[in-house]
Amino acid sequence: MLPRFELSQPQTLPEALKALAGGVGQPLAGGTNLFPDLRGGREKGDTFISLSQVGELRYIEHTDNRVTLGSGATISDILRDPQMKIAAPALVAASDIFAGAMVRNAATIGGNVCCGSPSADSVPPLLTLGADVTLASASGERTLPLDEFYLDYKKTVMKPDELLASISWTPPTPGSAHLFYKLSRRKGDAITITGISVLVEAEGGKCKTVRIALGSVAPTIFRAHEAEGMLAGRVLTSELIEEAAQSAAGQCKPISDNRASAEYRLLTAHSLTRRLLRQAWKQAS
Amino acid sequence: MNQVDTSPNAIPNVNLRQVGKNKPRNDSPTKVYGKAIYAGDLIMDDMLFAKVLHSDRACADIKSIDVSVAKTLPGVHSVLTADDLPATNAVMTDMPGQVGGGTKNTKQPILAKERVRFYGEPIALVAAESYELAQRALDLIVVDYEDTEGVYDAFDAQKPDAPIVYGNDNIVAAYKVRKGDIEKGFQEADFVLENTYSSQYQEQAFLEPEAAVAWVDEHDILNIRSSTQVVEHFRAVADALGMPHNKVHLQAPYVGGGFGGKEVMTIEVWLALLAMDAQRPVKLKQTRENSFISHGPRHPFTITHKTGVTKDGKITAAKITLTSDAGAYAKLSPYILLYATVGATGPYRVDNLWIDSTSAATNNLPTCAYRGFGTMQATTACEAQMEELSKLIGLDSLEFRRKNFIQTGDPNATGQIIRSAVWSDQCATKAREALGDKPKSTEHTVYGHGLACYQQSYGRIRWMKDTSESWVGLEMDGTLIVRCAVTDIGAGQMSALAQIAGEVLGVPMEEITVYFGDGHVNPLAGTSTASRALYMTGKATELAAKNVRNNLFECMAEYFDVRPEELDLGDSKVFVQDNPERCMSVKDMAKHCAAQGVHRHSLEIYRAPPSEGLDPETGQGEVFPDFTYGAHAATVAVDTDTGEVTVIKSVGAHDVGQSINRQAVEGQIEGSALMGQGFALSEELILEKGVLKNGSFSEYLIPTSEDVPEIESIILESRSGLGPFGSKGIGEPVFSPVAASIVNAVADAIGTRIHHLPLTPEKVLTAINEEKTKEAAE
Ligand SMILES: Cc1cc2nc3c(=O)[nH]c(=O)nc-3n(C[C@H](O)[C@H](O)[C@H](O)COP(=O)(O)OP(=O)(O)OC[C@H]3O[C@@H](n4cnc5c(N)ncnc54)[C@H](O)[C@@H]3O)c2cc1C
Repeated sequence: MLPRFELSQPQTLPEALKALAGGVGQPLAGGTNLFPDLRGGREKGDTFISLSQVGELRYIEHTDNRVTLGSGATISDILRDPQMKIAAPALVAASDIFAGAMVRNAATIGGNVCCGSPSADSVPPLLTLGADVTLASASGERTLPLDEFYLDYKKTVMKPDELLASISWTPPTPGSAHLFYKLSRRKGDAITITGISVLVEAEGGKCKTVRIALGSVAPTIFRAHEAEGMLAGRVLTSELIEEAAQSAAGQCKPISDNRASAEYRLLTAHSLTRRLLRQAWKQAS
Repeated sequence: MNQVDTSPNAIPNVNLRQVGKNKPRNDSPTKVYGKAIYAGDLIMDDMLFAKVLHSDRACADIKSIDVSVAKTLPGVHSVLTADDLPATNAVMTDMPGQVGGGTKNTKQPILAKERVRFYGEPIALVAAESYELAQRALDLIVVDYEDTEGVYDAFDAQKPDAPIVYGNDNIVAAYKVRKGDIEKGFQEADFVLENTYSSQYQEQAFLEPEAAVAWVDEHDILNIRSSTQVVEHFRAVADALGMPHNKVHLQAPYVGGGFGGKEVMTIEVWLALLAMDAQRPVKLKQTRENSFISHGPRHPFTITHKTGVTKDGKITAAKITLTSDAGAYAKLSPYILLYATVGATGPYRVDNLWIDSTSAATNNLPTCAYRGFGTMQATTACEAQMEELSKLIGLDSLEFRRKNFIQTGDPNATGQIIRSAVWSDQCATKAREALGDKPKSTEHTVYGHGLACYQQSYGRIRWMKDTSESWVGLEMDGTLIVRCAVTDIGAGQMSALAQIAGEVLGVPMEEITVYFGDGHVNPLAGTSTASRALYMTGKATELAAKNVRNNLFECMAEYFDVRPEELDLGDSKVFVQDNPERCMSVKDMAKHCAAQGVHRHSLEIYRAPPSEGLDPETGQGEVFPDFTYGAHAATVAVDTDTGEVTVIKSVGAHDVGQSINRQAVEGQIEGSALMGQGFALSEELILEKGVLKNGSFSEYLIPTSEDVPEIESIILESRSGLGPFGSKGIGEPVFSPVAASIVNAVADAIGTRIHHLPLTPEKVLTAINEEKTKEAAE
């Protein structure tokens, strides 16, 4: 059963930040993580600050060379935005196979990023976009790379009085490929076993930019910087891709659970990184 | 796509006006508009809400249960433990319904007393002013457990030093079949192949978790309105409480799915106890999590096939052992084992046969009825073996099956002669044709085709002497009423009766009122289980409607001055067949016949064919009224990097005898395609030392809308069944071969077989990689 809890419903961002400043309440967005966790006894909090009435947080903005997602934008909002297919192809792909329609309508991007789950599907595509996160508190704002946001399993750099205000990135150049693969035990509404995103930008027959992010294979979703370093500036041959995929897999620290064993996660992190790099290279060059 | 068989041996199409037509079901509007009332929807004045304390361990002694604090919580009206129950503390878990005997009288404690034997065993019941209060009371109950050594494997349970869960030796049931001479049979074989196949727990996952409301009325009758497949549970409730049967009234409104999970009693007796104790109405709706432990899931089976075949594909002998895990209580395990035993050889004729089957008790979840009822698990193993045999001798797998299919007039495993049509070949041929060509492999995708056939009974075990009754009456204004206490569990049981009565009496089904699901107002019809509801209640309704028709025709023949055989009924008219101008509306006919004192109602009973049981030494005898035959075929894609399986096309082709409602038949085939897909690929209850680890829908994965392949239903009609208009049962049959076809398709795609279900991506990838290693070594 859902336990009892206190809920405040600020109407504006300053009100929300003020409520958070007390240090007792926790943000509640779509509740699609929080409520199942509360009901299952995994979440013990009893004071929540609902962000659902804070209109300032729910927007998608495309400016000259920057895309900004308010943290209150839902997964469905992402799917409904026609420009997103170009601004973040892999994020659209991830949104498309995210949960089911009902959950997509409620689930926010902010909740997905902030829950810190290793299987959060929007995070690998955002990491490969090189996205920044902007955190807000009553005392101001700070912006940092998403890559520096996660500390450990369900731990982020966010302070108790902060919330995630927005996520922004520079859209990939027209010639680049931005891919996502969600491996799970069924096609719809399943928790990711291995989630990989890759971005490759080619120029002059060489790989100009490459980013690789791996989900569900370590306590946090992470960028495979070493593998990226092996590929940047080079022609991506099969051998090179294989080496990079091996390196990425080498960084994984997977666990075994009801969904899959650690060995399987490792194997597929390797083969899917290889597959996506090959596809992306082909598509980009 | 619908198809009526046009092959030479098909019985020509009969002149049916409604039956077999594509008509919407009578229950559709109320369900589509959200008006249908389910058991949990009922609200009564002064109603209390119940919660159940389920054991959180699988095997422990109960040192003490302290309910003193829980009882003092304001708003809590009843807290019951085993100490508060009748001393017998037992509820029947045996074959329910209108069976007349031949059962085993299996029972289970209502609440655990000194010991819990499985995870989820009920320990205490609470009724309070709200669910929240009831939950708080549960939280205040202190159970002092002492864990004891349990047994969690059906083979371990049979070892001499195993902890005893059931009886003296943990054996819940055992059967043997001895037929022909297997030594000789194996000698005649060119090849002998032995394989072991095993399958997992499957959860029914019905849409509506267990729900019921119970109250004692002004006549001291205990009323229960419950989501059940069986209104005849009123007897078991009465027996458990030491009450006369006629003081318990159980009704089932529309039921949100059962699949066998609501065959044996679930929550009714708990509510009865609370309502009697509190003397107020009490409601209980299980949460999804608790639903997982409130009924028995599908039995895991381990099945070993040793089969002899000649090089041209004739099966010469089979030696088969089957072992099922019954869990902590017997429930229906003995019968499910019997179904598996009869189904072990599938739709194939095996003259030299040796079968040993055993169901053993463990401290796992008690397993119980689930669509397919053992036959499905047996089919899954048998069809895997058939595929492997055809591969071994290098024969096309359908060609191989053709050489061994049972034909009408042949004996099956228990020597029962099959009397109805056996269209295994026609169905398999059509199903496979419908798959078309296999797509070509690509970089990391391989494709496979799979086929599976089956023999699945419909109707209950014959020595249980099953009956069903139905009442049909023509009102003064010419409208029709059917009264039949069949439970409508979502498959269109109620609507089918309207269609049948309407066919016989010439009135459109939409205009007929059917009263169902209440055995104290309507004639008892038995369970909606065992693919018997349509067969038995439909037959009783057909018979009753024909009686009414005969009575009416006798009167109307006089009126038209013809013989009764010259009359017919259709389009709400009675008419002379040779001269349809001579007619009268059903409305006027009703008035006319009423004036003549014609008996316009009839109560009929249909009795399934009885038998006297099996010879215990040879396992020979007549077990079931009849069988349904058919096939399922599937195309799958397998990702060789990840082992993910995608079902692309799923085709069911079945001889349903006669479809009563085509849409309902298609519904069964389509639903089966997904349920079987879940079993083949993703569904599995995970137990660790008896403790359920994935009892929620985020971890227990039934197929979603995203997983739905292209599904094709091919309906063949031999009109040879025992049901109304020659129909056969289809609820379980159409499901039985699905998983096997998908498993065979995966084996075809990856060139190797996985012997333990489900085929998770991980298992598939492991098999692919092992096969690669093997090939590299060769
Ligand atoms: C049936 C089902 C299927 C699902 N399928 C998927 C799936 O396929 N892929 C996937 O990735 N996830 C899935 N989820 C998980 C969940 O839907 C997502 O993680 C979702 O994005 C969470 O967003 P929310 O708005 O519901 O967050 P909430 O549940 O409201 O919050 C989640 C956490 O984030 C914090 N939080 C929320 N917003 C902010 C903010 N702006 N600033 C700071 N902290 C914040 C909350 O305090 C909380 O700790 C599924 C969940 C369900 C119930």
